[in-house]
Amino acid sequence: MLDRIDELRSEINNASINSLEEAEEFRIRYLGQRSGIITNLFKKIGEVAPEDRPTVGKELNALKGTVESLHEAALARLEEETDGDAPEVDLTLPGRRPQTGSVHPLTQTLNDITRLFERFGFSVAEGPEIEDDWHNFTALNFPPEHPARDMQDTFFVESPDGPRNGVVLRTHTSPVQIRVMENTAPPVRIIAPGRVYRNEAISYKSFCLFHQVEGLYIDEGVTLGDLKQILRTFAEAFFGEVVQMRFRPSYFPFTEPSAEVDIWWEDEEHPEGGRWMEILGSGMVHPNVLESVGVDSERYTGYAFGMGVERIAMLRYGIDDIRTFYENDVRFLEQF
Amino acid sequence: MDISCRWLADYVDHDLSPDDLAHALTMSGLEVEEVRPVGPASNGILIGEVRAVRPHPNADKLVLCDVNLGNTEPVQIVCGAPNVAAGQRVPVATVGTVLRMPDGDERVPFEIKKMEIRGQASSGMICSGKELELSEDHEGILVLSEDAPVGEPFADYLATNGMALTDSVLDIAITPNRPDAVSHMGVARDVAALTGAALRRPAVDIPEATASENAPFQVTIDAPEACPRYVGILVRGVTIEESPGWLKQRLLAVGLRPRNNVVDLTNYVMYECGQPLHAFDFHDLAAQRIHVRLAEADETFTTLDGVEREIPEGALFICDGERPVALAGIMGGENSEVTANTTDILIESAYFDPVTIRKTAKALGLSTDSSYRFERGVDAGGQLWAAARAASLIAEIAGGEIEAEGVVDAHPKPQQPRVIELRTSRVTDLLGVNVGADRITHILETLGFEIEDAGNDVLRCVVPLYRPDVSLEVDLIEEIARIYGYDNIPTPTHTTIPTHTPRELPATALRRQARQLLAGIGYRETFTNSMLPEDRAEQFNTPPFGGPKEGPLVETLNPISREMAALRPSLLPGMLDVLQFNYNHGQRALHFFEFGHIFRKASDGGTVIPGYAEHESLLIASTGITTQAGWDTRAQHADIFDLKGVVESLLEELRIPDVSMEPVYDSTDLTKHHLRITAFDGARYIGVIAELSDELAEAYDQESAVCAAELDWSALVELAAPHLERSYEPVSRFPVVERDLAVVVDEATPAGAMLDEIRNTGEPLLKHAGIFDLYDGKGIPDGKKSIAFTMRFGADRTLTDAEVDEQMTRILRQLEEAFGAVLRQ
Repeated sequence: MLDRIDELRSEINNASINSLEEAEEFRIRYLGQRSGIITNLFKKIGEVAPEDRPTVGKELNALKGTVESLHEAALARLEEETDGDAPEVDLTLPGRRPQTGSVHPLTQTLNDITRLFERFGFSVAEGPEIEDDWHNFTALNFPPEHPARDMQDTFFVESPDGPRNGVVLRTHTSPVQIRVMENTAPPVRIIAPGRVYRNEAISYKSFCLFHQVEGLYIDEGVTLGDLKQILRTFAEAFFGEVVQMRFRPSYFPFTEPSAEVDIWWEDEEHPEGGRWMEILGSGMVHPNVLESVGVDSERYTGYAFGMGVERIAMLRYGIDDIRTFYENDVRFLEQF
Repeated sequence: MDISCRWLADYVDHDLSPDDLAHALTMSGLEVEEVRPVGPASNGILIGEVRAVRPHPNADKLVLCDVNLGNTEPVQIVCGAPNVAAGQRVPVATVGTVLRMPDGDERVPFEIKKMEIRGQASSGMICSGKELELSEDHEGILVLSEDAPVGEPFADYLATNGMALTDSVLDIAITPNRPDAVSHMGVARDVAALTGAALRRPAVDIPEATASENAPFQVTIDAPEACPRYVGILVRGVTIEESPGWLKQRLLAVGLRPRNNVVDLTNYVMYECGQPLHAFDFHDLAAQRIHVRLAEADETFTTLDGVEREIPEGALFICDGERPVALAGIMGGENSEVTANTTDILIESAYFDPVTIRKTAKALGLSTDSSYRFERGVDAGGQLWAAARAASLIAEIAGGEIEAEGVVDAHPKPQQPRVIELRTSRVTDLLGVNVGADRITHILETLGFEIEDAGNDVLRCVVPLYRPDVSLEVDLIEEIARIYGYDNIPTPTHTTIPTHTPRELPATALRRQARQLLAGIGYRETFTNSMLPEDRAEQFNTPPFGGPKEGPLVETLNPISREMAALRPSLLPGMLDVLQFNYNHGQRALHFFEFGHIFRKASDGGTVIPGYAEHESLLIASTGITTQAGWDTRAQHADIFDLKGVVESLLEELRIPDVSMEPVYDSTDLTKHHLRITAFDGARYIGVIAELSDELAEAYDQESAVCAAELDWSALVELAAPHLERSYEPVSRFPVVERDLAVVVDEATPAGAMLDEIRNTGEPLLKHAGIFDLYDGKGIPDGKKSIAFTMRFGADRTLTDAEVDEQMTRILRQLEEAFGAVLRQ
């Protein structure tokens, strides 16, 4: 019996298995339930002398183990060889995607603008959209009946002839300046983002409302040079360091001197290869504004600037119709 | 406003090209929005002589002209003008010339080529006045005088007549602080200051004003505040006719339509110096009187455009001895306008109060060249000059003579020039650059200020009357800065910022968290209009949407249209538009959110603007597919529990404490059923989660359930702000024990109440309780349901089975007692 086992061991160790069929034949030859050679030897163990039985049993078990491990190894080897022909899973099936959402491009642009100014030490301040005449106009040095009031077509909620001289939908976020300065002594360094309203015909370039970020810095010794510096830094950070910028005199009732900032925008369709695009208005805070909130305009100077978020978002994303922002087409929103 | 470069050159010499001039003006405060070329784009227009005119063999309305262009053989030109005739001298655009041809309101380049027109050769084009931008006439060709030199350049011929073939027009956006620049002389003053060139003022003999009693007409002013000065000059014997070419060309260049010589000249002087003038037919003035008074209530007046207008009380009238003859500063009257038969004219040159004119112009919705200038403030010292300038031009061009003693200067309130003290150190303080006293003095003097050095760094500046906007030291500093050049102000390389603790507003921080969460779980942010039609706003101005308090809608007094008359009382209507728009564009997974302000009137105080309740609101809406159909998943559609889960996650993310959601099963106008969310046991309103009514969903084209939650963001910020700062709670190192419990209860038993009961009973060992199965099918008696709870227990030690068993027994007993629950076997 032990001789037979030795013989089988050498046969088994020398067996070559080259296909899944041969592997199955190999397993059946030795371990098949009915006629497996080793299976049969186990059945004949009763014929062995009692004292040899433990040894034979142990040897047979070892032999069975050898067959099993050779068979497994062969299977593993053969399956690896045939991999690619018939994989277990089709990994090319599409993944199960969770639904994706998005933050509106105006929020993204507004956040980028505020984040940038926050890095320069500005804090965010907010205010109401329904405003009184004092905060929206008078305290900002828009005298009653001044043509400057025509610069901002105003929605009235209460008539200017009423007891409060008018309640309006704010035409800019500048009233937040006044609200902050009424409650905070200088230095003041804030930005005021928010929604503003203009009673203008709706077209591709103007909507009845838009969003503004207004900046204000009041301190001792603030100059027009400082204003130029912060605005240039902003333009470079937002539109790239190669941006061409124009800082030119303008007029706003609440600043003096006033300035507008244009950037050069490449446009192949334009005969001059581009055009100047106005991106913001700014200036040194008018002494009347400071005095209206009880700030000593001799001791303190300051600058203010304001920009339209839509205008900047349109430039950076190449959007040519402002109404697109308010249509909320998923095919538009999902691009941001 | 339009400024003609040729015209400008009458007052200042400079070497700048139109584009360079535009740049220089823009960079000093007069923003040039466009430089518009006028006239042909190239040379090549010669004077031709029409030798013969022959019919065109193939076209009735065209003729063949043989045109002599000087030395060469006559050329054949096909012409369609009805007035062409042999013997005429005409401007001919020769082959190669590029004209700017009118095309609607625009002009487009057009090159003249040798071509065949209906089979006949044509070498050039005979031009009309309009094609050359010399007149508005395009009915026929321009016919020149008989002595026009044939073959010579047309431009030379024009020059001998005081005209030019080409020009450039600068379209300047005048800011409200620059009334001085609303004229060619005003712009020339800036050009002179910028270039150092001398400013030329036309020489005019200023006649002596007559003592009133000797004058051929009387001027009385009842309203000296509104009319501090009225100058009248009488010119007799004029002949009203078409203006000469040069005058028409100049007016056309600046966008004015020529009418007749007298009216054109008053406009010309207005565009020259900025003073609006009016010419009356003197014979229409009853009693040879000018009487300036304020309008009383209910007066009407027909302006010279033929419109009868109701004049607001307090408007300023120019009257004769009997009746109003002009609406001061805005428009003359039909009853006294200059006509073809006029022979004697009274020229009015007055100063009217800006506010009076502005109020009237606004009330009437009538803005004219004249009102535009008066409401900004004209030169209070320029009336006599302007009147004399106009009178002398009229006498020269329209004939006639200035009446001896026909000059009246009624000046009840002479205006004194302002004097402002300017500290040169303040200029440095504000601009950040030391401009220097000499340079400051020079800049201001070229702008017309009189400067006197008062010592101690102070300059005493007398402000010219044409600069009513300059009233403070800082206004002078702006004048200095804009001429000095903003580009020359250095940008500091270092800057200081005040020391402060950077703090973020809780609202900002929380909005960011909410946006991040919502965008992360598949919601898209929208921005919708705050204004909507009143009836739609009213429809949504009802609970449960729109916030804690009810109140009337806020409406604007002057909406763009009725479609935008009211302010939104809720974000829901705007969101429904978004759902509808996207559904109709093929989208079936509609999950959105929006932050925005909502508005109502409020009777109580406590709001920023008394009478108006303005809240920030957060709306979340969901309808349609939540899970797309895939290769092993079936599509799932949103229901109210999807949205409830989103709101629960959000409230948890924001750490809103002690939230409860009370179900309201009754339907409302807008909802099928909803949950009312509050904090502190109903004490603080947070918002609503609702499934909208089928009718509402259908009205916006939605086919599946539409759910929307509107949260009072202002309230959430208040509740969440104290929890923005987090503190760490040590995580338990001991194992937790999980147990399940299934009970059978009446169908109507609310699961939420049972969960609450379990949580209360299980405290403090119970760390979590949830529902993992709800079943009412086979094996469960009718009218009953089975609910299976999962629970997790834990403590700062290892729990024994006995302890947990005891908890489970207590919980079961409590459910039995409170809800009649039976343990499911």
